[in-house]
Amino acid sequence: MKRKLLSLMLVGTMAASMVACGSSADTATTDNASQDATTDSAATETEAVQSDDENTLTVYAWDENFNIPALKAAEKDYQEVNPDFKLEVITQSQSSDVEQAVTLAAEAGDYSTLPDIVLFQDHYFQQYVTNYPDAWQSADGADCDWDGLGAEKLSYSTVDGTHYGFPVDAGTAIFAYRTDLLEQAGYTIDDVTGITWDEFDKIGKDVYAATGKYLLCMDGDGNDLFYMMLQEEGVSQFKDGEPYFTENETLVKVFNTLVTLAQDNVLYLANDWSDYTDQAIQGDMVAGVFNGNWIIPTMKQVTENSGKWEIVPAPTLTGKPGYASNGGSSLYITANCKKTDLAKDFLAYTFGGRSAEDGQSITYDEALLNGGVIGTCAAAAESDVYQQGVDFFNGQPIYADIVEYTQNVATVEQSDYHYQARTALATALINVLQNGYEPDAALEEAETNLRFEMGL
Amino acid sequence: MTKKKNRSMIQRRLIPTYIFLIICSFISVFPLYWMIAAATNSSLNVARGSIAFGNQLMVNFANLKNAVQGTLWSSMGNSFLYSIVQTVVTLFVCSIAGYGFELYHDKGKDRLFGILLLAMMVPAVATMVPLYGLVSKAKLLNTVWAFILPGISTPFMIMMFRQNSRNFPPDIMEAARIDGLSEWKIFFKMYVPVQKSIYAAAAVITFMNAWNAYMWPKVVMSDNRAQTMPMFIANISSGYTVDYGMTMLGVLFCSLPTMIVFFILQKQFAEGITGSVK
Amino acid sequence: MYIHGKWLAHFPFLKERVDIVEKKKKGMTLAKKQLAAGWLFLTPATILIFIMSFYPIIQAFITSFKTGKGINIKFADPLTYNYSRMLQDVIFKTSMKNTFLYLIVEVPIMLIFAILLAQLLNNKDLKFKGLFRTCIFLPCATSLVSYSLIFKSMFATQGLINSILLKIGIISENINFLGTASTARAIIIIALIWRWTGYNMVFYLAGLQNIEYSVYEAAKIDGANGWKTFWYITVPLLKPTIVMTAIMSINGTLQLFDESVNLTSGGPANQTITMSHYIYNQAFGQGVGNFGYTSAMSFIVFIMVAILAFINLKVGDTRD
Repeated sequence: MKRKLLSLMLVGTMAASMVACGSSADTATTDNASQDATTDSAATETEAVQSDDENTLTVYAWDENFNIPALKAAEKDYQEVNPDFKLEVITQSQSSDVEQAVTLAAEAGDYSTLPDIVLFQDHYFQQYVTNYPDAWQSADGADCDWDGLGAEKLSYSTVDGTHYGFPVDAGTAIFAYRTDLLEQAGYTIDDVTGITWDEFDKIGKDVYAATGKYLLCMDGDGNDLFYMMLQEEGVSQFKDGEPYFTENETLVKVFNTLVTLAQDNVLYLANDWSDYTDQAIQGDMVAGVFNGNWIIPTMKQVTENSGKWEIVPAPTLTGKPGYASNGGSSLYITANCKKTDLAKDFLAYTFGGRSAEDGQSITYDEALLNGGVIGTCAAAAESDVYQQGVDFFNGQPIYADIVEYTQNVATVEQSDYHYQARTALATALINVLQNGYEPDAALEEAETNLRFEMGL
Repeated sequence: MTKKKNRSMIQRRLIPTYIFLIICSFISVFPLYWMIAAATNSSLNVARGSIAFGNQLMVNFANLKNAVQGTLWSSMGNSFLYSIVQTVVTLFVCSIAGYGFELYHDKGKDRLFGILLLAMMVPAVATMVPLYGLVSKAKLLNTVWAFILPGISTPFMIMMFRQNSRNFPPDIMEAARIDGLSEWKIFFKMYVPVQKSIYAAAAVITFMNAWNAYMWPKVVMSDNRAQTMPMFIANISSGYTVDYGMTMLGVLFCSLPTMIVFFILQKQFAEGITGSVK
Repeated sequence: MYIHGKWLAHFPFLKERVDIVEKKKKGMTLAKKQLAAGWLFLTPATILIFIMSFYPIIQAFITSFKTGKGINIKFADPLTYNYSRMLQDVIFKTSMKNTFLYLIVEVPIMLIFAILLAQLLNNKDLKFKGLFRTCIFLPCATSLVSYSLIFKSMFATQGLINSILLKIGIISENINFLGTASTARAIIIIALIWRWTGYNMVFYLAGLQNIEYSVYEAAKIDGANGWKTFWYITVPLLKPTIVMTAIMSINGTLQLFDESVNLTSGGPANQTITMSHYIYNQAFGQGVGNFGYTSAMSFIVFIMVAILAFINLKVGDTRD
């Protein structure tokens, strides 16, 4: 017993010294860090995610390499007009942490646990307003030009004509090709521009035969291709709030296209998200990537392929240039924010684009430089940073191109069951490819399951 | 001479055991080796499954120190604090309960134990919302109490002490009572010392569970200053681009304390007090 | 006694009776004291479990009769709507099948393996015991993040296992282990055994310390071989511990979550998803949770665990 006690005490002292270390290391970043970390965490209770300082706002956000640099840029930008301003970022591991925090606060009936602002996934926002209307504050009356922020993007954060959110990143999709691999199969980037999916299939087969690489890849578990390919055609997986699968000719065509692509070794379906990013993209298995532009930082990890990639609009069923969007998030003011005017003004000035009116915005420029975040603000896209050529993409000014794509993305019917629909379709595709289902039967089962889930 | 011969014969007969244990150890340790190797590599090499050592250790360490607004050491400190408090309190509360259930057992207590056992059988997802409401109403969020309260008294730990008290002879207690020892004295002076191996095992398990707890701490310790090591790891290991080299170094930091605690205590629970209950 | 003694000198024939009364009196207060102490010992733990577990469980039970999300949640009509809904839920049924498969295959293998290892490591003559024990315990101390990353990396289509098997000639082309239902399930089972055997070994090792070494010596003299001692001495003496680990493993496996989420994400096509994973998805994984339905599913899990644990206790947990 004595020895155990001794070792426990030893470990305890170690812990105490580490806490002390921690608080000194904090000083540089957090203003409250002068207090000891333990007494701090034990003493300040629910106020921990709120600040008493009238010029400080707190925000929940995730991803230190993407969204958080964008928020830091916005803080710096707003300090130009309000030098005392501080933005305290509380890091979350992923978007679902923020959703869970809002859910739990709402279910417990106590919003005092929320920060002033939350970063929130676009596809989820509408259902959180429907089910927890008291959790949010309207952004109406904010001093910014809503028209310049991209209509499709705002459609996610606007409920019954009321604005709630300020857009951070555009989910605008890119289709990137490895020009060197295309060349090995006897094609150029022009050959894959403005083509149909059938033509794409043919080229893809040649590329696979010549190089052993897939011309398209996707996470097979949460398959985003359906949504993007349908949006290119201006069609949704939903119609009047109900699943629109088997009756939807476009969806059936898209489904059959994907079956063919997978069977022809043109499409690589990864097992899950990390298989997609690590094995497929970073493991250099592919000659083409089609996803929201936030996938670019992942591609850039493979530095030896720098200069070999180029971006064009995606193929479509008809051959016209295809534009889609996938993912992306916005900033929302929670019910717990007592400094609503400050929050609105901060967000309107920064992500709302007021600082970008002269074509130069610290927020958008530094978000792009430090995090690779591409906004939807048209005015910000005028800046030199957006217009520059990118070496990794063979000097192509991809950011300006992507902002241009953004203007062409069609607004399609959204649903609270967006992700469930995606999962259902992904399952149907795997059922055809692995479990011997006929496409019609697989789609029908997917529709039945989704309707069940929606309680229809 | 014969003794020596005897000993070498025993060792020779143990050769298959050694081989078996070496294989098991290798399989168990290989991922740890991989983790250490990965901590010295660049993210891309880790993603591609490289298992050779690289030269990125210091780079990874520098990145790790700056990650999540530089909260590596405070997360470590928090985890130590919460886990140690949790372990000490849990060991006390559950051991007296297990002792009470077994050595004073009667129909009523056996039935109560059966009821308590039910508490662990409902998936945590179902109880998370009401439990969060409870802790939130008690204004305990972001405090050490929010972390430890739901985990102090677990049917599992009570059961562990209850089951292992079965070998504690009631006659000894009777004798002690005749000697005039109070019930608490019997517990502290007689039960605790002979159950050292059970305490050590329980300490290892409780410490490990507390240290690795993620789902519950994540929702009640939302402030970065209160975050634990597994939350720190979660914060650096998700996102559009993950720095795997740095993450694996962080994971190494996160795994070491449990391993050290195990190594310190393993002698206690595995070579404790054979035959001292007499 | 002394007071009595004075009188008893005069009435020697009463001595016996007084002694009996004394004994009885003393015995009663002692028993009362004992009883009180017994309850006192278990009060803190019991109160905590009632507040921290049973209160939320009752809340969840009430919720399981409600339907709708967020502010729109209300009592269902009929009240058992969520429970009857489960019968039509194809994915929940799949998850149930998967979970029971993991349970039936994994738990016995793991527990037998753990006892065996504990027995081997309890040998007095064995050297490097501490090292072996620590090595075998390591997997469960390894953080989930690294372990899932390593497993996924090892079993990837281009990964280590595939290249080894190719080299040996067991397979002729790379297998997508985690993308094929049968192999993905096998990997989850392997991962579970790998991770939890050392953990269970800890309990057996601790339990073995209560068995006196002389028992083994006696068995040896009687001519019992290794297996016989194992089955006829170790296993029966470890019975309380075995019952406990069996209940814990059944509980843990029926509530299995980590492996399904981190190794396979439940895929391909929900072929490896577990009940807890599916429940979690419905509660927190896909937007606003359907808490009525998730609570109802949780109670089905609860009933299944409770039945199995009850059988376990009835069969194994006897005091003799």
